Amino acid sequence: MFYPIAGKMIPWFSIPATTLFAVGMFVGFFIAPADYQQGEAYRIIFIHVPAAWMGMLLYVLMAFYAGIGWAFNARLSSMMASALAITGAMFTLISLVTGAFWGKPTWGTWWVWDARMTSTLILMFLYIGFISLQASIDDPRRADRAGAVLALVGVINIPIIYFSVQWWNTLHQGATIRLLQKPTIRGSMLAALLIMLAACWLYSVAVVLTRLRCIILEREQNASRFAEVGV
Amino acid sequence: MLRWIVWRDLMLAWRRRADMLSTVFFFVIVVSLFPLGIGPETQLLRTIAPGVVWVAALLASMLSLGRLFANDYQDGTLEQLLLTPQPLFLVVLGKTLAHWIIAEVPLVLVAPLVGVQFDLSRETLWILFASLLIGTPVLSLIGSVGAALTLGLRGGGVLISILVLPLYIPALIFGSGAVEASIMGATPAPHLYLLGAFAIVTLLFSPWAAASALRISLE
Amino acid sequence: MNWPDLSMGGYGFYIWGSYLFSLIAIVWEVVSLSQRKKALTQHKEQSSDSVPASVLRGSANETTS
Repeated sequence: MFYPIAGKMIPWFSIPATTLFAVGMFVGFFIAPADYQQGEAYRIIFIHVPAAWMGMLLYVLMAFYAGIGWAFNARLSSMMASALAITGAMFTLISLVTGAFWGKPTWGTWWVWDARMTSTLILMFLYIGFISLQASIDDPRRADRAGAVLALVGVINIPIIYFSVQWWNTLHQGATIRLLQKPTIRGSMLAALLIMLAACWLYSVAVVLTRLRCIILEREQNASRFAEVGV
Repeated sequence: MLRWIVWRDLMLAWRRRADMLSTVFFFVIVVSLFPLGIGPETQLLRTIAPGVVWVAALLASMLSLGRLFANDYQDGTLEQLLLTPQPLFLVVLGKTLAHWIIAEVPLVLVAPLVGVQFDLSRETLWILFASLLIGTPVLSLIGSVGAALTLGLRGGGVLISILVLPLYIPALIFGSGAVEASIMGATPAPHLYLLGAFAIVTLLFSPWAAASALRISLE
Repeated sequence: MNWPDLSMGGYGFYIWGSYLFSLIAIVWEVVSLSQRKKALTQHKEQSSDSVPASVLRGSANETTS
């Protein structure tokens, strides 16, 4: 029942998403001025920052849906969590790679062990853990519930991990200035940033719903295959 | 009941002493590889020592986690334990405590010896010992959640590592930070306090999470 | 509105490189998802076109491949 509704909803998200991406890029490149300190290089933030936020947001959502699915035995909720995982991981990866591309011209090295990048890397590991665990379990219900435990443990640990990484980073800073400093935000920059964030958000909804439909179909087909054989 | 579980696991492990020793040997070998890979310059070794010893302890712990529940799972004891009127998290706590005694305490005891290879001062070696003493329970506790989640799955040890190593990072940071502070002459106290706090938090939620995970894996 | 300098003040490689990578990642996700969906819907159509389940249940002694 959810399947056809989701199907109809998808274009309502995918089309605005593409439009907003275009608008965001336009504002970011044609309207926002160059930064005082970083020149044109800062323009990477228009994809880097929204991707980073989406990576974190989707993880929390994933844990939420997984938790609900486990607590209330709601299969659709668990499937939603699984659908969110890959998109979240992908945004986190984009955030890491674009962060590297930003670091090289501004600070001279491809990788920078500052608190934000390091925390994003650890978030990537958490996603990989969740996805690997679910991939290794054949029984879908066990996979759902095991994923829920892992995601919830992850979510509880994230503030602790972030704090410890901050701690680690300030210890080892020495005399270096805070790395990957944000440029002073002007109105048009903020607008572009928010538009791109909205675009990523809409894109995520469209893609996750599509994946959810695939998961629903897959589980249905696996179930009916067993039924046909009389298992 | 808790004491019985701990005692039983200790007895079983004693019969397979070789397993216990292999974890320690792995730890020692891994630590020794780093100077071989990096060079014998004393100053450099002193700098990397905290991180190297701590990471080696993490990796050695990973090896032993597979055994935490697997043996009882294979001979059916685990399912029996699930059926007892005792709360499952007590069973988990007992097994985790036993794991700590069997797999981690030997590491803690051997670590200062290994630290001598890196030319650490006596005071630093004490801090190394203390940091591992406080931090290794965390390894057993969080590890028990990973072991419970992956019970019976193919992919075994590598999968547990992927799940659990990111969660160890705070312990690694505070633990090695304490040793490093000691090397540089600063006080290791804040690091050890944070490590202790993390250990307490872990103690509060891990047995419960691992018990839930066990139920999920055994259904 | 200002026409941007396409070389981005010399940073062109990094900026366009970032956006290119992001574009590739997004395209990969969308394409692999649509392939997955296509495979599933094809399979669904095939199984509904084929012999109804009741007949298949009669030959339940066959093992799956």
